[in-house]
Amino acid sequence: MRHLSALLGLLLCAACVGPEDTPSNVKDLRVLAMRLDPPELLAETCSTDPAVLADTLVRPVRLTALIPDPAGEGRDLDYTLWTCSSQDDDTCREDRVELARGVTKGGELVVDLFPGPGTSRLGDGTFLVQRILEKDLYNGLGGVRMPLVLWVRGGSEQIYAQKLMVYGCRFFPEMQANVQPELPDLVLAGEPWVAGVPRELSGPGPFEVTVPDLTGREEAYVVPSFELKPVNLQEAWEVAWHASLGSFSPNTTGGADLGGGVARHRVEWTPPRNAQAQEVRFWMVVRDGRGGMSWLERTVKYTP
Amino acid sequence: MPPTVASNRSVLWLLLAVLSLSSVPAWAQAYDGARREEVDAGVHTPVLTKAPELIQTVEAVYPPEAAAAGKTASVEMLVTIDEKGQVSDVQVVTPVGDGFDEAAIAAVRQFQFSPAEVDGAPAPIQIQYVYNFVLQPPKVEESAPPPPPEATLTGQLLARGSRSRVGGATVRCGDDPEAPEALSDEDGRFTLKVTPGTCDVRVVANDFHLFTTKEELAPNETTEVIFYLMPKAPGYETVVRGAREKKEVVRRTLERQELQKVPGSFGDPIRVIQNLPGVARAPAIAGQLIVRGASPDQTLTFFDGVEVPLLYHLGGGPSVLNAEFIDRVDFYPGGFGSRYGRAIGGAVDVATRKGSSDTLHGSVKVDLLDSGFFLEAPVTEGISIAGAARRSYVDVLLPVVLPDDPEGGTLLVLPRYWDYQVRVDFGAKRGSEPGPGGRHSGYVMAFGSDDLLNVVASGGGRNRDITVDARTLFHRVKGDWTYRHGNFTSVFTPYAGYDLGSFGFGETKLDASIWSLGAREDLALELLPWLTARGGADVRFEHLVGEGRVPFLGGIQYPAFPGGEPKVELQDIRRVANTFDGALYAELDMKVGPVTVTPGLRATYARIYGQDRFAYDPRLWMRVQPTEKTAIKGSLGLYSQPPEAFNLEPAPLGNPALTHERSFQSSLGVEQQLTDIISVDVTGYYNRRYDLVVSPGDTVRNEDGTLTRFQYSNRGLGRAYGMEVMLRHAVTRDFFGWLAYTLNRSEQRRVGSNDYRLTTWDQTHILTAVASYRLPYGFELGARMRYVTGRPTTPLQHTFDRYDVDRNNFTGTFGPTNSIRFQPFHQLDLRLDKNWIFQSWTLNAYIDVQNVYNASNVEATFYDYRVREQFEVPGIPILPVVGVKGSF
Repeated sequence: MRHLSALLGLLLCAACVGPEDTPSNVKDLRVLAMRLDPPELLAETCSTDPAVLADTLVRPVRLTALIPDPAGEGRDLDYTLWTCSSQDDDTCREDRVELARGVTKGGELVVDLFPGPGTSRLGDGTFLVQRILEKDLYNGLGGVRMPLVLWVRGGSEQIYAQKLMVYGCRFFPEMQANVQPELPDLVLAGEPWVAGVPRELSGPGPFEVTVPDLTGREEAYVVPSFELKPVNLQEAWEVAWHASLGSFSPNTTGGADLGGGVARHRVEWTPPRNAQAQEVRFWMVVRDGRGGMSWLERTVKYTP
Repeated sequence: MPPTVASNRSVLWLLLAVLSLSSVPAWAQAYDGARREEVDAGVHTPVLTKAPELIQTVEAVYPPEAAAAGKTASVEMLVTIDEKGQVSDVQVVTPVGDGFDEAAIAAVRQFQFSPAEVDGAPAPIQIQYVYNFVLQPPKVEESAPPPPPEATLTGQLLARGSRSRVGGATVRCGDDPEAPEALSDEDGRFTLKVTPGTCDVRVVANDFHLFTTKEELAPNETTEVIFYLMPKAPGYETVVRGAREKKEVVRRTLERQELQKVPGSFGDPIRVIQNLPGVARAPAIAGQLIVRGASPDQTLTFFDGVEVPLLYHLGGGPSVLNAEFIDRVDFYPGGFGSRYGRAIGGAVDVATRKGSSDTLHGSVKVDLLDSGFFLEAPVTEGISIAGAARRSYVDVLLPVVLPDDPEGGTLLVLPRYWDYQVRVDFGAKRGSEPGPGGRHSGYVMAFGSDDLLNVVASGGGRNRDITVDARTLFHRVKGDWTYRHGNFTSVFTPYAGYDLGSFGFGETKLDASIWSLGAREDLALELLPWLTARGGADVRFEHLVGEGRVPFLGGIQYPAFPGGEPKVELQDIRRVANTFDGALYAELDMKVGPVTVTPGLRATYARIYGQDRFAYDPRLWMRVQPTEKTAIKGSLGLYSQPPEAFNLEPAPLGNPALTHERSFQSSLGVEQQLTDIISVDVTGYYNRRYDLVVSPGDTVRNEDGTLTRFQYSNRGLGRAYGMEVMLRHAVTRDFFGWLAYTLNRSEQRRVGSNDYRLTTWDQTHILTAVASYRLPYGFELGARMRYVTGRPTTPLQHTFDRYDVDRNNFTGTFGPTNSIRFQPFHQLDLRLDKNWIFQSWTLNAYIDVQNVYNASNVEATFYDYRVREQFEVPGIPILPVVGVKGSF
């Protein structure tokens, strides 16, 4: 099996040329998350006629974006929020409807949308929802999924971040609107990591961080199949780990795999070897896999 | 409305019966190779059924000046014998001068042989012959003494290293030309009666060094001996061969010597095909065959005419057929005969070889990670057997080599594979007279392969426990019954098979089994000297069972939320599909002067997953041979490939409306024999593929408001055009090699989309040079040099980040698809072999060095997580591989 040794060599070669930039290390302008409250608006009836869904579409929505800018030194950030008709159009080039515009700074951006984005109309007066349904591969079977695209610019850095607003409908009586996932307090180096309680870490690490048992928090829910039969699913939250210094390994945890297994949430944070004493910021973003999203923010005083 | 199945089956069998009844006498062609019994592409490969025997010799006139100078010589000649046994041509292989060459030619021209027979009919043939000039001492007149007592020297002549029998050798005592001599028979046996005393034994045989020894022979006693003769050319075999009947515009045949000695191919015969024109370079060590722009699954591989599901162990490991078991490989990049179907790309037919008829031979190969053996032997008169097997022990060694689980848990990676081949040949012994009712021969062969991969990663600090079980397995049993009578040849090939593909990941299990039963009947009949008909049937039935336990599939069974990975309830699935694919084919060779026109038709009826499908593939070949050494050839034709059975599954998993993929293939070329051993072939081609199966298919809204989303549709289009050049030096005693060049462009698009764009594996220029030379002292040096245009890629044009918040991943901003290329690929591989020939076995050691000058070729790319920058993965650096093989 000379071939296996050759393959091993190839993989080793790949390992030699890897990038140094890692997703868990937040060193420049990023959009780490966008939270919509509520995460889902559920209509009592299912229809492809926007007029029938009007009561649901008009309901207000709050968008909160997590936009760290650690190297920006408090600079102004231009932003614009659009909605458009196609999920594939991640910059909203077509059928663009502007929802908000302004200037913000690194941190959390909050935009209240009232009436809700579901009432958006195109230039010709057509309900944007109507156009979305026309382009939807599922023709609204999974609900109306309205793309919201947030454009943020700081200096020469630009980011287009897309998030879907979910307008569901009660296809089966047992269907319930999604509830925002909320992480419990984490455990850092074996001790609870509570907001507002200062923590200090020293040494080269790594430092273990875990998420307590999520039993009871991950919802069971039902979706219609293409044959219009109920499919029973259960949330398997995924957590993305970020820090302003060092990196997490792994950088995401959770989620279910093809074999039905659900991963545990255990990571290690490792500071760089030449790090100076400083305050390190951490963001843990949780996704429920159906549009719900939230995050925890913590700080640690780190000394080498 | 298509006719019913029953009526079509009746038509199929009726046509077959008509073809069988119209079969009558005599069809013979030139001889090709010493042990070819196969029918190839519907064209019978002729077999030497009776070797020529020397029945009258003429003594050469000893050149007076050479005699005066006391010189002796051996003149090696190529002697062409016509169908009457008369010598029609004599050529000296290596002139020795001093008048010996001319004297030998003059004498040999007067020799008379018994006619050689090919397929039972007299035929011209070429043999090697060595004329030995030895000085005769002056005769002394003396009175006749009483006859002395005799001694007998008897024994057998064997080739040193292989123990093959050496026939046709001359055994004598001393240089005295008057001394009695003996000629060894087919089994290498001889009996020599001489004067008692010391015998200075001299054995002279073609392709062997002169053998000398001394034997003390007692009066009236018999001394039995075995002499081991040293072969002159242990590297390459030299066989008498003629031209095989060739209908296809391009059929490239590789012989055993070429298959095992090409540097950089790991000694795997299948990989050598990648060095031929028309084949794009597959990435890294993958052995995929990308032929004239077609995807790998559109080129079929057959072992002795029976399709096999995979070529390599574990995806890119050694090929599943032992190299020792392979006699030759025929590669058709396109325009193949009507005998072949179910493919719209190319075809590869690997011919296995029958077991030896002289004695037990074999080889043993021990590698770091697997071991295998090959054995061949005669069983009894007319029956021989050959077998091979291999088993890896990677699963045993990897745990020793791999470090402890860095996560502190359990980490096991256990790949293993094994394969086997057994072939039993039976039929008339070569050289025997065919009976009045024709000549029967055949063989039964079984072969198979089993790959298993277990991966277990669990416990410790690991967030996710992973258990993967993957298995691919196949078995085939096939028979071959060949009947020849005059101009008529019939080959019947039944076969049965079992395939298993199994995959397990955690709680998810999926098994796919295929039981197959098929048969081929190939008939050939020379109706008139200018008209030959070929026809046959090719039927296959498959029973497919897919079953397992899998989660509901987001996006396929329900509308999934982007990026969501919920825990999904599992479902038990079981699907059964029966497929029948029956084809009748017919071809007619019409030869008018230098022009041969071959129209052909392959008509296919298929019933796939309850759906009836028909395909009619008319094909036409033309060959113009204005001179003996020049041929102009061209072809046109349609080719069809049925969709995978389970792709006809109702939506959302498939599309019951899928039809055959089709292609129109055309080519035009010229081949020129530059010398007896060097030829050049230039062929242009244009292939258009249509009705290709692509995914996803269309989404249809039904009247009741439900959606039907088909997984597949026949909306793919493709085309490829270019030119292939093959400059080839045939396998001779010391050298073989070729220069292959392909100019190619392959494009694709989807119906309704924009213009054609390059396929991922389009490679404009592909240049491969292969050469192997036999050096003195048992050394052999081979080299392979390749230059290939970089494959297309899509440029990254990052100006801003694009982040999908729900999926938590970034996408890139790219330029036009496949609008730029990677750097060209170039690589030199060298191989050095050393053979040690011992009395009864041979040891071969080799070093195969890949990428000798350590070129940094790009094999793959990846991006940083924000898709801002592209990183290149270089290919294999300089990589020496050492191997040892013993054979006997």
